[in-house]
Amino acid sequence: MSTELDIFLANLSLISLIAIIGVSLYGILARPNIVKKIIALTIFTDAANLLAILVGFRRPPSIPPVLLNLEPRATDIAEFSASAVDPLPQALVLTAVVIGMAVNMLIIFIALQVYRLYGTLDARKIRRLRG
Amino acid sequence: MKKELLIAMSMVITVVVMAYIATLGGGLGPLFSDVRPLAKAFLSTTLDPEKPLFTAMSPEAVTAIVWDYRGLDTLFETAVFYLAIIGAIAIYRDVNEKVGLKGSGLGLSKIVRVVTKVLIPINIAIAISIALHGHLTPGGGFQAGAAMAVMPMLLIVVFSRYFLLELKLTKGLALAFRSIGLTGIALTVFLPIIIALVNGVNAYIMQNQMKVNAPVGLPAFIGNSLISGSLILYNVFEFLAVTFGFSVLFLLLSIEEDIVKDQMRGEVSEH
Repeated sequence: MSTELDIFLANLSLISLIAIIGVSLYGILARPNIVKKIIALTIFTDAANLLAILVGFRRPPSIPPVLLNLEPRATDIAEFSASAVDPLPQALVLTAVVIGMAVNMLIIFIALQVYRLYGTLDARKIRRLRG
Repeated sequence: MKKELLIAMSMVITVVVMAYIATLGGGLGPLFSDVRPLAKAFLSTTLDPEKPLFTAMSPEAVTAIVWDYRGLDTLFETAVFYLAIIGAIAIYRDVNEKVGLKGSGLGLSKIVRVVTKVLIPINIAIAISIALHGHLTPGGGFQAGAAMAVMPMLLIVVFSRYFLLELKLTKGLALAFRSIGLTGIALTVFLPIIIALVNGVNAYIMQNQMKVNAPVGLPAFIGNSLISGSLILYNVFEFLAVTFGFSVLFLLLSIEEDIVKDQMRGEVSEH
């Protein structure tokens, strides 16, 4: 694969991720329905995770950060660290995905309770309710 | 409908044109040509028996970062996970999930039930395999827990939630298993200190392999197989905590709306 195409694809992923983040922020801020806000929030989380993965990316030829040799010599380790992608963003995203799911569940439980108590999921009406 | 299509098409065209312009201007050219020095440090020490003071003894650099190099980070992420689930349970504190217990006979058609029965052992085997190989291959406790939590969800959808109650997988039991997982993580955090106190030397919290001034580490090998010290323990206990944490949430979320409303109305009128 040529370098030009690589750079174009990297630019395309970055700019489309920024566009997705823009759309999801619009959904979180401007949509009145809480369920739509939650959907937009999950899209935002996934876009942020993908962005973190993209930051740790390395142009091909690159390999995953898994050492295939269990008894490596010094040359193996040098070759591995010269071609593997950055493992740190992957480690952060790995936990963030599962924790994000738990936090989303908490938000969903709260939204369900709001609907049970107030009979509406419209953020503009919930704001006016007292007590 | 036409308006939304127009907006979507114009966004796609804008993104592609902007990416092309950025490419013509050089764009992100040098950004992906190399990784940061920090990543090189992690990659070059993740499994290196010749550097016993720095290595995590795991060929999988991601798990080595998650539970060794950045272990405290993950420990507090687990605390966030714990608090999120406790918050959801607190909302349902007075709802008894055993009310309205109906027998079997609910759920989807026979075809779906049989296929699900075939899938369940495969699902369990895959999840346990991901957990136990977390220090060797991509995956680990979090991913295995998420894969295993599919199973109660599937059972609730296909057989109804009363099937889980008949299997005795109640809220209390799932909470107990989750507490076992979290206690196991806490014990593994203090395990190096306990070993060091017995031997009369120093140790760090969440220590895996031996460090400067802390010569006692957890064994990287059992027999001939690589277990990477504390990493396998963390993965297994996190697997328990994530699986049963999500099971509690699915059990609570699947309670019928009228049962919850009845019990909550009772609670309101009592006060």
